[in-house]
Amino acid sequence: MTLLRTSGLRAGYGPVTVLHDLELEVNEGEIVVILGANGAGKTTTMRAISGTIPRQGTVELKGADITKLSPDNIVRQGVAQVPQGRGTFPELSVEDNLRAGAITRRDGTSKINADMERWYQQFPRLAERRGQRAGSLSGGEQQMLAIARALMSRPSLLLCDEPSLGLAPLITQELFAVIERLNKEEGLSVLLVEQNANLAMHMASRVYLLETGRIVAQGSAAELSADDSIRKAYLGF
Amino acid sequence: MELFLQRLFDGLSQGSVYSLIALGLVIIYRGTGHLNFAQGEMALFCTYVVYQCGEWGLPIGISLIIGMGVGFALGAVTEVTLIRPVAKKSQFAVFIVTLGLFQFLNWLDGAIWKDQPLPNSGVGSNQTSFPSLFPNKPTDFVNVFGAAIKLQSIGVFLLVLVLFGLLYLLFNYTKLGLAMNAVASNAESAKLVGIRTNMVLMVSWGLAAAIGALGGVVFAGINSNVNLGLMFTVFIYASAAATLGGFDSPGGAVLGGLIIGVIENMAAGYADEWVGQELKVGVALVVILVVLLVKPSGLFGTAKVERV
Amino acid sequence: MKTAPFTIKSGGGASWAIRLVVAAALAGLALWIPTSASNGLIDSCITALTLMACAMALNLLLGYTGQISIGHSAFFGIGAYTTGVLVAKYGWSPFQTFAVAFVIAFVVGALVSLPALRIKGVYLALVTLALGLVFPQIIKWPKLEWLTGGARGLDKTGFRFTKDNPTYEIFGWNPWGTLRGENVKPFHYWIAMVIVIIVYLACRGVVKSRAGRSLVAIRDNETAAAVMGVNLAGTKALVFGLSAALCSLPGCLSAIRTGNVTPDSTNLTVAGSITFLIVMVVGGAGSLWGPIVGSVLYVFVTEITGDWSNTDSIPGILRPLFGWSNTPPGTGIFAVLLIVLMFVAPFGIVGMYRRLQARVVTVVPKPAGTGTIAAPAAAPVEA
Repeated sequence: MTLLRTSGLRAGYGPVTVLHDLELEVNEGEIVVILGANGAGKTTTMRAISGTIPRQGTVELKGADITKLSPDNIVRQGVAQVPQGRGTFPELSVEDNLRAGAITRRDGTSKINADMERWYQQFPRLAERRGQRAGSLSGGEQQMLAIARALMSRPSLLLCDEPSLGLAPLITQELFAVIERLNKEEGLSVLLVEQNANLAMHMASRVYLLETGRIVAQGSAAELSADDSIRKAYLGF
Repeated sequence: MELFLQRLFDGLSQGSVYSLIALGLVIIYRGTGHLNFAQGEMALFCTYVVYQCGEWGLPIGISLIIGMGVGFALGAVTEVTLIRPVAKKSQFAVFIVTLGLFQFLNWLDGAIWKDQPLPNSGVGSNQTSFPSLFPNKPTDFVNVFGAAIKLQSIGVFLLVLVLFGLLYLLFNYTKLGLAMNAVASNAESAKLVGIRTNMVLMVSWGLAAAIGALGGVVFAGINSNVNLGLMFTVFIYASAAATLGGFDSPGGAVLGGLIIGVIENMAAGYADEWVGQELKVGVALVVILVVLLVKPSGLFGTAKVERV
Repeated sequence: MKTAPFTIKSGGGASWAIRLVVAAALAGLALWIPTSASNGLIDSCITALTLMACAMALNLLLGYTGQISIGHSAFFGIGAYTTGVLVAKYGWSPFQTFAVAFVIAFVVGALVSLPALRIKGVYLALVTLALGLVFPQIIKWPKLEWLTGGARGLDKTGFRFTKDNPTYEIFGWNPWGTLRGENVKPFHYWIAMVIVIIVYLACRGVVKSRAGRSLVAIRDNETAAAVMGVNLAGTKALVFGLSAALCSLPGCLSAIRTGNVTPDSTNLTVAGSITFLIVMVVGGAGSLWGPIVGSVLYVFVTEITGDWSNTDSIPGILRPLFGWSNTPPGTGIFAVLLIVLMFVAPFGIVGMYRRLQARVVTVVPKPAGTGTIAAPAAAPVEA
């Protein structure tokens, strides 16, 4: 079933249009990866979906039109974003960061606390540092925190903007393993944008290639790897 | 010893006023990174409103609630109509807007209530002196080790502590407080977790103005009257307090205000010859300079990256 | 984009012709005023010129380096009191005091700004505000009363003229008025004019020089400027000092002009600082002409609305707006204007004029490598 669909999506900054008539889809239970170089429009795509920049065209979530909704309402509809560069609340403690993630929930403190404990188990390093200021955590830990925070709102769709940015490959592998596990065990749908093709391709159900604001190719990871020209031009091997 | 205690409590009482105004400055600065130059004048306007309510026969408790309500509205409306649209342009533009607001409010106060201390029997005021929240007749004092400490001084000091306690609860145990902290820490991410940042900003300004209104009323009570120049020097003292405490720390604002109130009073009292009434304001300047030289982030502020 | 109907080459013939015409018109006006205008008008002009110089000095700091000061009244006061004390107590000739005031203000300015230079702008604003508040208090300090005259102030701080002073006539035209104490205003007018020209040239010199480019670099992006070798703290302190020193000159003039100095006169208090700021912003921050336009407008509006506390003098249409109170509305008008400007024209009147001009006339720039500094940068587009 289609979870997210964009149609004719255009967005930009001021007079500059970055995205041109984007069409993409995420089905339930999928991990969809958008690959693109710097300046291709990956972060703009994320922002356009989560509503933090003005956009034209259509964005649909579970068939409902969310194009006109404000960012906070889009979160309430079940979309959570892990922004580029972690985006933690540096002065707040790890625990408060998680609590902030749950701020739109109305189902009571005990359920929220239960979720927190759950993520503490998934990410033991966060549990060790629960009272610490988020700004004092390492890059990898902050990324885990950002993901856990996004998950606190119990989203149906997780948007991840370049989670590997600035992290060592081993840490990135760990993170992607977590995302894969959540996808398999909980059915979490993920839309992930990345520059780093190698690591991301392994877990992708489908891949889009983004170039200067347009989708130039799409398919499964196997299909794209099989195509020589695409492989050489975009995937670098 | 008695003189010392007396001066100490006078200082704490005066310092409480600084703390209240400084709290407003800090709440706004934390949330938006702006200095609200009009903080003192917003408080003054509300103080005049409270005076007017008193003239119409309302008891001080009701007048205060009205005054703080007016303050909240004033702060919220200012944020939405004046600050938010201009903040997108530049910090300087926001500063000029708050400066313009400062001028406008003071002019408005003068236009409505004229340039004279109120209440004033000369113009037919019903009240004889500005209403105080605490008993402040000459007989209302307590004997502490031989010193006569005014009940008003104690009351004001306790008021600040209680207010600070309430704010502490707000920031650490409520969703709104968490939202305010989140917006102050990283406004972009706050949007991404579903916080209505616009609403939070509006409430921050409203809250800051309401607390400022309380500060103005308290000061007018101590001063026995309200006049156009009431908040001029208070603003710089409050700014010094916020600098000392750390511009993003409410606890620092309270402590800073009390410390400065005490220093100012002690200096004026003990070093009367050298400091006296004239150079009291110099205390504010010296404190700011010293803090900037020694530890710019203040006692409790978080040190952001210093410029090159 | 629609192209403008007219085109002018920068530095070409048409551009120079326009400049000459404007300069001639201004010079003519400047010369006509002291000789033929009424005393009241001359007085207003002197006020305008005084404000002009202060606003220009502040503009050097704020408009070009982006540093905020709400305490320039203190430097004005340093000028006024240096002249006042030296003339009244020590018998100096007023002209000799200008240099002394300049140096004192420079040193104070540079020193006071140092602690705040490495921190965010808001702290400099607070330091200068505190300075502006403290200055009148220092003057009133009992321990300094022997020097400053305390709250009462000092008298006889202006020129002393005797009957034998000559009148300087040029072809039957007397630009000085009669230097015999009855009509000394033109003399003051010329001093004010000279001060404005000095301040203008100083600002222009700094702005268009290599140092000026560093200033704009600092204003637009401090870290980048530092990385490119601009000595931040040093440059900022120098500019602050210069701005302070230039602001002291009109202060000296005010002591001479009124013949006395008191600590409570407007320009020596924070109210004065705010006035300088208003004049600068309304005219147009960051432009050399802004303070000129702003000060003339300010004096003009204040004069006209000064009477408006008396309802009858308000023109009919505006009566409902201002008639309900008998407080002069000048301050209120400018306060609102300040706010509105930030929405509509953040670069003041001069900024608005430039935008309009751009629609009517296109100025073709000189070929690369021959120009002077760039215009203020627009807000960066977020990537």
